[in-house]
Amino acid sequence: MNWTKWIFYILLLALLVLGLFFYHPIIYYLIYAFIFSYILDPFVSWFERKKFPRWLAVLIIYFIIAGIIAWFSSRLVPGLVQQGNNLFNILSSGEQLTGQYIITLPFIRRIYEFLLELDTQIPGLGMADKLVDILDQTNVFLAKIPKLLIDNYKKIFSTISIIATVPLISFFLLKDKYKLRKGIVKMFNNRYFELCIIMMRKIDSTIGNFLRAILFEIIAVGILASTALTIVGVPYSILIGATAGVANIIPYFGPFLGGALAVVTVLINGGSILYVITVILAMYIVQLIDNNIIYPVVVGGTIKMHPLLVLLTLIAGGWYGGILWMLISVPLVYLTYNLIRVLYTNLKGFKII
Amino acid sequence: MIKDKFDWLKTIWKKPDKYADLKKFPVLSEFSSFELYLLNNFLHQRKFNKGELLYDKDHPLEVIYFILSGKVEVTGPTHPKGRFIVREFQILGLIDMFKEEIRSSSATALTEVTAYAVSRFDLKDLFNQNPHIGVKMLTAFCQTLSNYIFIISHPKRTKEL
Repeated sequence: MNWTKWIFYILLLALLVLGLFFYHPIIYYLIYAFIFSYILDPFVSWFERKKFPRWLAVLIIYFIIAGIIAWFSSRLVPGLVQQGNNLFNILSSGEQLTGQYIITLPFIRRIYEFLLELDTQIPGLGMADKLVDILDQTNVFLAKIPKLLIDNYKKIFSTISIIATVPLISFFLLKDKYKLRKGIVKMFNNRYFELCIIMMRKIDSTIGNFLRAILFEIIAVGILASTALTIVGVPYSILIGATAGVANIIPYFGPFLGGALAVVTVLINGGSILYVITVILAMYIVQLIDNNIIYPVVVGGTIKMHPLLVLLTLIAGGWYGGILWMLISVPLVYLTYNLIRVLYTNLKGFKII
Repeated sequence: MIKDKFDWLKTIWKKPDKYADLKKFPVLSEFSSFELYLLNNFLHQRKFNKGELLYDKDHPLEVIYFILSGKVEVTGPTHPKGRFIVREFQILGLIDMFKEEIRSSSATALTEVTAYAVSRFDLKDLFNQNPHIGVKMLTAFCQTLSNYIFIISHPKRTKEL
């Protein structure tokens, strides 16, 4: 056994562990930057084919994105902020959203009356009072939201720093994409380099296609839902539409979240059952368009998982890291499974295992 | 006299051609510097020692090689003699490239070999995104394969391989 070699590998491993420990605070930044780069890469490549240097192509794309954001800000943000503020005011106002106030809403009123009737038939049950208590507790939680925001200023600050840093990291990832790829392949010896190229290509195509497809779906569903809700006349339609677009990433449950949010908004504003049904119908039409046109065409076969596995993955993701992990757990598991499958097939193919 | 000085000055200012090595390949001789730049993005330079295996029969087929220097012996059914030599500025893996999923032959370095490896899928993507490059390269590939078929179908000329 070559001891010098072993000592070198152990030192290298120790260095890697130390490196990971040192750089672990920025790993999230890198992940976000990679996602951002994957989404932008086709546009940069398009400019490159038009004889623009890559660095210039990235800058042009950044300017275009900044322009689009500025345009949307001037057009949409005032309305969005207004809608958000109104909703926020209702949620944070203890006086308006007490249990007694909520039971005056038509839909809840019916439930309350039904429970009251039950209480009169079964003495000592007290279900109606319990409902008011539960609604009061909900109100206490919602009223805490502004305080939660203040208490979590560090996280908010960290988010702002991510937004500022990610485009900078992405700039270098996009500009030096081919240098990075060549650098990674160079690290592998002749026996493994072909396998390395296969894996990189697979990662590139799977992650890149999936992210771009999902982004398109979010935008499409967001626009469709906002339009449908605006037509129906739901308040905060842009905000709810945008939320429905993002929530749509979560398979099976996502579409319900957008719909539920719209229904709750209508109920809070005193809408009738007929109005609620109209809203549900509008969101259902959006889902029909998404399921039958957008998803099959755009996302296609990027994710093929059994519904039970999706459900278990969602529960595990939610348990592990809340809503964010519910969003990313299914694609993450699918990608990991796919990469392991490709790795195993090729390790066998190259007779390495 | 002044012209000589001017030419000498030009040699100082003129940057060395980055893709001079690539232009030596007959299949790439018609390519502009920009086209070679696009191709170069996907090329990985590899060195193989004498006797080292470049690939083995039945391995998954991912890359083809542009041999920059050295000689490679290919053993497999694609040549009547069962073996042939691929020399510098020739391409290795071209016959399998458009058909097979696994290698139909084995390749071993007879001398120290330097080669550019390129994924055949990257190459196909490059063709699809840049049809003018695709047309040029596929034409050159057809010429190479046509020469090869012509040579192996005339037994007297098989010595050329």
